Amino acid sequence: MFKHICKLVWNRKRVNFLIILEIFISFLVMFSVIVLTVYYADNYRQPLGFDYQNVWYLQVEAIEKSGTAEKQDRPQQIEKFKRVMAAVREFGEVEAVAGAQYLPYMNGNWSSCNDVNGKPVCYWANAVTDDYRDVMRINIVRGRWFGKEDDGANYKPLIINRQLAKERFGNEDPIGKALNQLDKQDSLPEGKRARVEERVVGMVDDFRKNGEFAELKGYAIYRNSLREADDRLPRVLGVRVHPGVTAAFEEKLLKRLQNEASDWSFTIKPLTQMREEMHQQSIVPLTAFAVVAGFLMLMVGLGLIGVLWQSVTQRTKEIGLRRAKGATKQRIYRQILGELLVITTCGALIGTLVVVQFPLLDFLGFATPKVYAYAIVISLLLIYALTAVCGLYPSWLATKVHPAEALHYE
Amino acid sequence: MATPSAVIARPVNSQPQEQIMIQLEGVEKVYRTERIETVALTNINLAVRAGEFISIMGPSGSGKSTLLNVIGLLDVPSGGKVAINNRPITSYSDRNLALVRNEEIGFIFQTFHLINDLSVVDNVEIPLLYRKGISGAERRKMALQALDRVGLHARVHHFPNQLSGGQQQRVAIARAIVGNPRILLADEPTGNLDSQMGDEIMDVLKHLSEQEKTTVVMVTHDPRQADKTERIVRLFDGRQVN
Ligand SMILES: Nc1ncnc2c1ncn2[C@@H]1O[C@H](COP(=O)(O)OP(=O)(O)OP(=O)(O)O)[C@@H](O)[C@H]1O
Ligand SMILES: [Mg+2]
Repeated sequence: MFKHICKLVWNRKRVNFLIILEIFISFLVMFSVIVLTVYYADNYRQPLGFDYQNVWYLQVEAIEKSGTAEKQDRPQQIEKFKRVMAAVREFGEVEAVAGAQYLPYMNGNWSSCNDVNGKPVCYWANAVTDDYRDVMRINIVRGRWFGKEDDGANYKPLIINRQLAKERFGNEDPIGKALNQLDKQDSLPEGKRARVEERVVGMVDDFRKNGEFAELKGYAIYRNSLREADDRLPRVLGVRVHPGVTAAFEEKLLKRLQNEASDWSFTIKPLTQMREEMHQQSIVPLTAFAVVAGFLMLMVGLGLIGVLWQSVTQRTKEIGLRRAKGATKQRIYRQILGELLVITTCGALIGTLVVVQFPLLDFLGFATPKVYAYAIVISLLLIYALTAVCGLYPSWLATKVHPAEALHYE
Repeated sequence: MATPSAVIARPVNSQPQEQIMIQLEGVEKVYRTERIETVALTNINLAVRAGEFISIMGPSGSGKSTLLNVIGLLDVPSGGKVAINNRPITSYSDRNLALVRNEEIGFIFQTFHLINDLSVVDNVEIPLLYRKGISGAERRKMALQALDRVGLHARVHHFPNQLSGGQQQRVAIARAIVGNPRILLADEPTGNLDSQMGDEIMDVLKHLSEQEKTTVVMVTHDPRQADKTERIVRLFDGRQVN
């Protein structure tokens, strides 16, 4: 019977071609939504590497720098920054405070690349003061956090995440190794060449600065001791407050900071709010896309029902004849549904073949093979479910064909 | 075109000639639609012996097709009894009717009712699809044999619309006999054919009846063809007339 159904589908290929095309296009649309969803879901399961609850983002803008004498001003600015930090720390509401170039969920990147065996290994970076670990509750899984022993050392200490360790050092233990290769910098422009060894002192599972939905990417945390000549002025403060501290504290804090540095400007926001905002950036487009795709599926579904319905009415004579030749209602039902499944398989198969090419073309390259495979399987299941549901009514209709009447009329 | 002498005979069943293949007792058929009630058959009593070739005649609308459909279990009678090959039809369940239709009965229609999207041999195989335990190779073999029996050797891989009307009707007969049913029901099988092709089809049916002891019931408007059968049942307004 299966062969018979395949023959029927093949011999009716001109009619079936359009249905196959429709299923093929639905498959592609469905796949794009699902691959994104699976990608986000997979990212979501990965460790975040920090705790954003009860952390406030405090942006510091030093307006005073009037362009020219910036470098010379820096020691003064750093001193002022230290005073600001100390002022924050004095509050009983505050548990810990640290300076950083970036806090999680902030827009903007500091990215850096190293050449490893001719392949660039790129990662995001941050430079933080020693208390950053307590503010973000970072868990060191190997090695150590920054400490006194790094003061005045002849290397730049840094913490990296597992991903960067894997990309840079493979399976070797990264602790104590240099991230940069001082002897292989000929390809870099003069200004970009590092003068000091960047030594890995610790490793974290991960630190996903763009949050739960973001991709896995190498991450490096440099130390800002607020001491060395070339230490930068941190751009933000991370303030961990005790649980239960309300927004009222915000005003109190701001007032105090304005006193300490009247010519600087401060902006406060809870990290939870920034997290929401960043999630909106990933979720909103996906939701919009999914809604559009959902409507498309609905249209495809209704179209399929229409086409199948019409095909059943056009084929009443054939169905009547099969009944006269000994087909039960159930056989008719299974035949119509079987034809639909064969047609679906054609469309889905072409769709899968096309979709499998995407990674080779570097399209949708963000998805790992695992995410990709999952998305294909889920898309296949959904497309079969969709067509099967659409086929139920027309197939049932086919069983209602009365053989004597179907064969009677000319 | 092949003559019936080229037809290869099926092994003859050694059944006693008296065996009744079709038995109708007091069969009634009333069609009820919203307002109108059409009495299509009234008190039909009919017995057809195995291997007998009978024809049913009557004016248009007299109930000939209805009678054939009741015999062929395509339609449920409103009253009376039907027995096929000594099997009284007591259960009109879909499964039971499908089984009897498949094993005992072959249908032939005026307009052939071939499936245009299937090749000749695939069309002939259809009844075997609904029978258990026949492999694809066996089906193919039986279909080719059936085509042989109706004198169609070539063109088995053509599609129906590439054949002449007479050839199409031969395909339809091959499809009706492929499962070796004991009964052939033909509703105006020559109605769409010119007289020469009609004669050829009659020869095939006659041959099946005589050589293979197949019971044939044929509806026809053509007295010339009816005269070639052993017995004529006449209907008028749903009643038997003699
Ligand atoms: N499905 C049906 N519903 C209602 N009435 C029907 C139905 N089928 C047949 N009839 C009626 O039953 C009567 C007998 O019809 P039938 O088709 O058996 O006639 P027939 O002798 O085969 O005619 P013809 O020679 O034109 O084929 C007619 O009056 C017809 O209108
Ligand atoms: Mg008729």
